Amino acid sequence: MSDSGSDCGDGPWVAYREREEWKDVSPVPQDDGPHPIVQIAYSEKFRDVYDYFRAIVAKKEISDRALDLTKDAAELNAANYTVWHYRRTIMKELKKDLKEELRYITQVITEHPKNYQVWHHRRVIVEWLGDPKEELEFTAKILRGDAKNYHAWQHRQWVIREFNLWDNELDYVNKLLVDDLRNNSAWNQRYFVINNTTGFNDDVVDREVSYTQDFIKKAPNNESAWNYLKGVLLDRELSTINDLMTNFMCTSLADEFDTIRSEYWNYVSRVLSNKYGQSTTPTTEQTVVS
Amino acid sequence: MAQTLLKKKHIKFFERCLQILPSRYCSLDNNRMTVGFFGISGLDMLDSLEVLESDKENIINWIYSLQLLPDDDDSNIHQCGFRGSTTLGNPFKAEEARKNPIPLDSGHIANTYTALLSLIILGNDLSGVDKRSVTTGLRYLQQEDGSFCCVPEGSENDMRFVYCACCISFILDDWTGVNKDRAVQFIKNSMSYEGGIGQGPGTEAHGGSTFCAIAALVLMDKLYDAFNEKEIKRLKRWCISRQQTGFQGRPNKPVDTCYSFWVGATLKLLDMFELTDKGFNRGYMLETQNSITGGFAKWPDHTPGTFIVYTIYTDHILQTIIVSHSLKN
Repeated sequence: MSDSGSDCGDGPWVAYREREEWKDVSPVPQDDGPHPIVQIAYSEKFRDVYDYFRAIVAKKEISDRALDLTKDAAELNAANYTVWHYRRTIMKELKKDLKEELRYITQVITEHPKNYQVWHHRRVIVEWLGDPKEELEFTAKILRGDAKNYHAWQHRQWVIREFNLWDNELDYVNKLLVDDLRNNSAWNQRYFVINNTTGFNDDVVDREVSYTQDFIKKAPNNESAWNYLKGVLLDRELSTINDLMTNFMCTSLADEFDTIRSEYWNYVSRVLSNKYGQSTTPTTEQTVVS
Repeated sequence: MAQTLLKKKHIKFFERCLQILPSRYCSLDNNRMTVGFFGISGLDMLDSLEVLESDKENIINWIYSLQLLPDDDDSNIHQCGFRGSTTLGNPFKAEEARKNPIPLDSGHIANTYTALLSLIILGNDLSGVDKRSVTTGLRYLQQEDGSFCCVPEGSENDMRFVYCACCISFILDDWTGVNKDRAVQFIKNSMSYEGGIGQGPGTEAHGGSTFCAIAALVLMDKLYDAFNEKEIKRLKRWCISRQQTGFQGRPNKPVDTCYSFWVGATLKLLDMFELTDKGFNRGYMLETQNSITGGFAKWPDHTPGTFIVYTIYTDHILQTIIVSHSLKN
């Protein structure tokens, strides 16, 4: 689904049913039966455009006027996936200029940055073009508006993987983290890049631990950085610590530092006690709960 | 800001949603079935389905009118399922629609899922559902990597639709439409280093996709095959860490009412919900109520949405599915 669009009936407008060049087409109204639910109070314009959209789909019309009609239909409801699909069908058959379409969808996404269908349309157009050269800059632009836009990150990851654009991505991520060290999407992207390029070999792990520690020193309560650190050390022995100490930590978290999760910390403490026994000596070592 | 649940206002809110939405909601035009489900299920949660009593048969008929039935030689079997609305021009009478197919007119996986749940809530026995074509239709939506698209014409593919496919299969007690091994592999590949699960491999862990993934595994009875003890522990930690007052969907993001459902329900599935701070969660939810129109918003003093009102209780969808399962047996 999409973000909710603006009101659908604004602006001066000549209805399709009044256009000379559409006289040959009979509009197709919706047939919702005698007792429809969740009706939508469509504007006149919406009803008119979609009556004609239904008509061209039914007669499988492939034409320039049908292509224009899909633009009107998409403007009224950018979340209508059939409109976008039909638009692509026409574009392919009429061999339309894909670069121009990319410019058009750039503008639509800028207006609806959280709509699944418009991002999907862009992805198909980029696939058809086989040319990703605008994509990194475009997603960066969307991310300047909302650094955590999930669609933009998904598209960016797809482009990078598909067209092998790994080279400068760590620099980009670094810039974002310097800008906002709590940007969890950027931390995730850092992991994504390393995991798909060098992998986490010993040298990389050392480098990443030290990189992350610098950020943790600046903001010790930043969960994103801690999660990344834990992720980097995923398959390694995190640290060993005696269970009395661990229980002490759980109690401090429950009672003082993280009281909203007190039930959880008490639970962790109980799990540890059950697993390792309550009266072990402080010298007994075991892995801290991860 | 209300301190108690404004039950009567919320009932009115759902009733209005089920009748007619203002024109600014035209972006929901393809998914009216799903909006209807939020209304019907919301009323059910408020124990107020009786307000629909006189309309019940009409609603059931409307839902069935959107079922796309196979033609005589199954040439459209890949399109079968439930549509989200009549926006492509299919006639109200399903039999008539069957005889005069419209190009690109296909079921939509989320609307199939919500249609089935709405029917169950309304007490329908699903005898009008063409189960064979619904499950066969699913096969055409599953991708190589195990994920699902929402329509056979092609769409984005992600965790949301894996969840929908599992719900449909569970409700109909027929898993022939889902390659479980691949679906499980897709979910495993989508667990991030943080312990939560993203919309696909490599993406950021997110409350919504984490719910979809874990619920799908529970429905497939594969949760503890898919993840080892350490992974489950990390997943629990990630989920429980999302509570601030209400819940957030990702670390360092603001809380939003909908995550009380997505993350809360995941914790419930992991037997961890009892460890949350219910007082804070409830307090946040109540703060987001609109005391004039009814409904809940993402944040206090914002416009309420249908989906959000739905999140008041955290385990309803699964309860509904479980009810459906016992109905069948």
